[in-house]
Amino acid sequence: MVEYDPTEYEIAELGPKIKDIDDADELREMLDLEEGGEDRVPVKTLIEDRIEKVEDEGDGEVDPETVDLASLTVADVANMVRDIDDADVLRDLLEREQAGEDRKTAKSQIESRIESVEGSDEEAGEVEYVPPEEKYPELDHPTNDKQWVEGTVGAEYRDMWVYCETQAGALVDVSKEMLGKARGLMDTYNEDYGEDERVVAVLIGADASDHVDDVIAYGADLVIYHEDDRLERFRHQPYSEIFCDMARAGGDLAAEGREEVDWKDYHEPRYTVFPATNNGRDLSALVQGELDSGLASDCSGLYIENAMISNPAKVGTAGDKKEFERVLHMKRPDFSGFEYSTILCIDKPNRDFHPQGASVIPGSFELPDPDFEREAEVVDYEMELDDGWFQVEVEEFDRLSGGVDLTGNDVVVAVGRGIGDDPTTGIELALDLVDAFDEADLGLSRGVITSSYSFDGHVEQYVTEERQIGESGQEVEPDVYIAAGISGAIQHKVGCDESDTIIAINTDLDADIRDFSDYLIEGDLFEVLPRLTEAVEAGDLGAVVGEVSDD
Amino acid sequence: MTDSYEEYEAVVVGCGPGGAAAAANLARNGVETLVLERGVDAGSKNVSGGLIYAEESAPYTIDGLFPDFREEATERPVTENYIHNVAGEKVKTFDIGDLHHHDTAWADSVLRRKMDSWLAQQVHERTRETGGGLLTEVHVTGLLRERGEIVGVTTEELDPIKADLIVAADGVNSELARDAGLMDWEEPEEWFQGVKAVVDVDPAAINERFDVDADDGAAHLFSGDLFDGVRGGGFLYTNESSLSIGTVFHLDSLAEEEAEPHELLDSLLTHPLMAQWLGDEYDEREYSAKLVPDSKKAAHPSPHEDRLVLVGDAAGQMQAQGPIIKGMNHAVTAGALAAEAFADARSRSEPHRAGELYEKKLHDEGVMDKLRPTRYEVFGRLGELGPVDDLSNSVAESAVGRFGVRAASGLLERAYSSPTLVSMIPDTKLPYVTLPTVIAEELGERVEDENTVSPPDLADRIGDLTYDVGDPHIELLDKSFEASGTAVTACPVSAKDFGGGCYRDERVQTNGTEEHLVSLDTQPCVECGTCAVVADTEWEHPAGGKGVEFKQG
Repeated sequence: MVEYDPTEYEIAELGPKIKDIDDADELREMLDLEEGGEDRVPVKTLIEDRIEKVEDEGDGEVDPETVDLASLTVADVANMVRDIDDADVLRDLLEREQAGEDRKTAKSQIESRIESVEGSDEEAGEVEYVPPEEKYPELDHPTNDKQWVEGTVGAEYRDMWVYCETQAGALVDVSKEMLGKARGLMDTYNEDYGEDERVVAVLIGADASDHVDDVIAYGADLVIYHEDDRLERFRHQPYSEIFCDMARAGGDLAAEGREEVDWKDYHEPRYTVFPATNNGRDLSALVQGELDSGLASDCSGLYIENAMISNPAKVGTAGDKKEFERVLHMKRPDFSGFEYSTILCIDKPNRDFHPQGASVIPGSFELPDPDFEREAEVVDYEMELDDGWFQVEVEEFDRLSGGVDLTGNDVVVAVGRGIGDDPTTGIELALDLVDAFDEADLGLSRGVITSSYSFDGHVEQYVTEERQIGESGQEVEPDVYIAAGISGAIQHKVGCDESDTIIAINTDLDADIRDFSDYLIEGDLFEVLPRLTEAVEAGDLGAVVGEVSDD
Repeated sequence: MTDSYEEYEAVVVGCGPGGAAAAANLARNGVETLVLERGVDAGSKNVSGGLIYAEESAPYTIDGLFPDFREEATERPVTENYIHNVAGEKVKTFDIGDLHHHDTAWADSVLRRKMDSWLAQQVHERTRETGGGLLTEVHVTGLLRERGEIVGVTTEELDPIKADLIVAADGVNSELARDAGLMDWEEPEEWFQGVKAVVDVDPAAINERFDVDADDGAAHLFSGDLFDGVRGGGFLYTNESSLSIGTVFHLDSLAEEEAEPHELLDSLLTHPLMAQWLGDEYDEREYSAKLVPDSKKAAHPSPHEDRLVLVGDAAGQMQAQGPIIKGMNHAVTAGALAAEAFADARSRSEPHRAGELYEKKLHDEGVMDKLRPTRYEVFGRLGELGPVDDLSNSVAESAVGRFGVRAASGLLERAYSSPTLVSMIPDTKLPYVTLPTVIAEELGERVEDENTVSPPDLADRIGDLTYDVGDPHIELLDKSFEASGTAVTACPVSAKDFGGGCYRDERVQTNGTEEHLVSLDTQPCVECGTCAVVADTEWEHPAGGKGVEFKQG
């Protein structure tokens, strides 16, 4: 007899009740009742699920170390061994099966599991490699004449190569960040694997040699640079050609004349790291393609570890597991940075995938402290650059201005909402004062920029966010900061607090700016600014400030 | 390419108490649930006066859903309740413990940053087990529709996400509720605005000044002539090592009187009555503000559309009837009921009926009657009609009325403690200003203490808040003072003649004529939503993780 007749209940009520019924027979009876009565599909599913659950619980949880194999069907054995990773436990099972039922299928299931847990024997597992075009002659093979397939197998790879980008004659920060990271990674690597591999810095450009000392200070053991006036600006082809030529020097695919070099005796780099800047992204893709490897782009984390891999394309045989050593783990943000994936670049049985390459998002790693005492080997890499690589000429270029840069001025004259009565004149008066100094510029408070003031055309160009001083604008520290009609909220203070001398002009003696200015001139900026301008032009600003201020 | 969107069974927008309750109950029912929160951390955008209730009659309570809640996330249980009627320096205090204890299993003071970030942790752990989880710093901007039907949400940071159930627990300024056309920002009468100062006080000093044990606390309410005739009142709640002191006003009254919310808060903080609790040292940890829906008028009777359900403030579920102020508990109940409704609907293979079931549960469980009491609809609204209100005001102020107050002081205290009477209170000056003032004048005693507190000015209060300033998130559509000038005073971080606030009034000369304009800088914005109601704006929340970050809340 059943406790609940399902036909008398709504499914929502039935759910919680059914959870407490553990007797499969009772459940089956309920199922019959439902089928004979309302016959609702979701109710039947609910009951069937419960039956399955109850019966599962009955025979789940077998301990492979103690289980009586005779009580299991061959299929049960197959299911059970799938979850066992310990070869000894499996061997014990095998022995017991042999001693007992000695079923052929059961034994082969256990044996094949042992094999996949331990990895197959070398001789037994090796399958002769047949190139795809021979294996499947009926298919066309569009990739088989690709120029960049090296087809190298089992070659020697060493060192971590870092492409150190320069822009406008300066080593960019991300280059230093990568060197610092590479240093740390290779120090640990050498310790872990008992090796002596190096951090290799690559410099390419018109003034590449200028940066040699820097890259050594930031962690390089070996610096390879190539300098040529034609390399003043980044261009894909020559840069890629040079990098690849360096990477292949002294190896199996070295260019003519560079088969033997005294600073490198391996095929290609083990690891390559590029900056994920515009140029670095370009170069990284071309170089990694040319070297017949892969690239993890825009990474934010790197570490070196062994990796257990079961992908048959990498391992060679389905079901096998194999540990790959010294794998560069390249972490990159996905899903707008809310998730991360880790990319591994791993050799195939018949084709190497080296160098393991990554491009790195600027700012991902800490900027290391330089050590100018460090010593390193330096190679001036000689090679002829083909004129054909320079067919694209850069005729003209324009560096986008970083907007108005107020830092570096001796004097900054800033105005705030005190100009509200006549905004155009306020800006004009401030500009007059700016002109009276040699090195000065105009700053604005956020209050002016976000106001609805209407400015006449000739001063309107000055009222832009680029001139904003403060937390959400620029921070300046000139010798003299003149704050006219600025109350001095904390958000403004952080933008000018470090100035040597702050002179405030305000009608309100209680304004916050009083707390952090050296001189406070009580007065209307429309009257005070012209007097200051006069005084500066006459060369006695100090006298005027001293005269009008008693602070 | 709509097929490629991420898809979850349920998406919960907002991880306040309503969203947390919904997510917890969804997870409990095995529903794959993704929770999106726009703050850097749950609680960083949340402000409340500071009391959370567990009602005996409620089908769900926060500690029922999150068993360690009171231990981990609250400040002090409130064991004493008073209301102070103030007229000048005269004060008459009533004990309203009975009203407070009616249907109350417990009530604790809370600070939202601590409370919500604890809840978020629990929510993350539970929803992860369903295949979802909690993502912070994601700003949900609106609804994803397919063939006119709501099927998911759009966000500023991620691709659109589809779901069978969308729980809008995105607070009082819910962008989802507005996108769905269920809520608007039109009528100031439907809103209150609250501002609050969290004041640092040593726990031992709190125990002594309020005469409570270390694990007890007090709640004090204030009404009368403290606030320049603006309709509303004040509150003071004891936290573990701080006090939450605030004022809440009808937004229409604030707008009409052109009152400055921060000044009204200051008039409470500096009243002599407060001296006994504040002492001589005044250290304000945080100034904050929030818009509060008036559920009597704003609670949506049918808060759902397609796959979307609204819970908590987003649905206007904030009960404010005179001295009763309950919001978070209703949000919790509503969130959990919405989840229950979806689980029911899903097990009947009719997930699209979740909204309808949710509405039914709100009514059947009595939530809707608390939010929109029939007694208020019948009697309270009547009292708001001009002639009736005028008459009551003049009766109360007349000699007869005053005699009545004197004769019936005991009766009055009992009246304040009656949930039935309280639910009828009309939104007029009579209960908020006139009556308390008369009570204090007739029955009150003069407070002799001297209050030496000098609260920080608005610039310092703004300066002390933490902001990560992003792109301007509010656009001022009509700059004329006529259309948007009310925001200069009503905005809690703006003021007349103050250049450092959000809204500033400006007179601009163009071609010889002077225009009276308003300009807007969203840098100091505390995201309360006041200007969305009183000014002509295009109002959105800042991007995920941007904008103000409350540390207390």
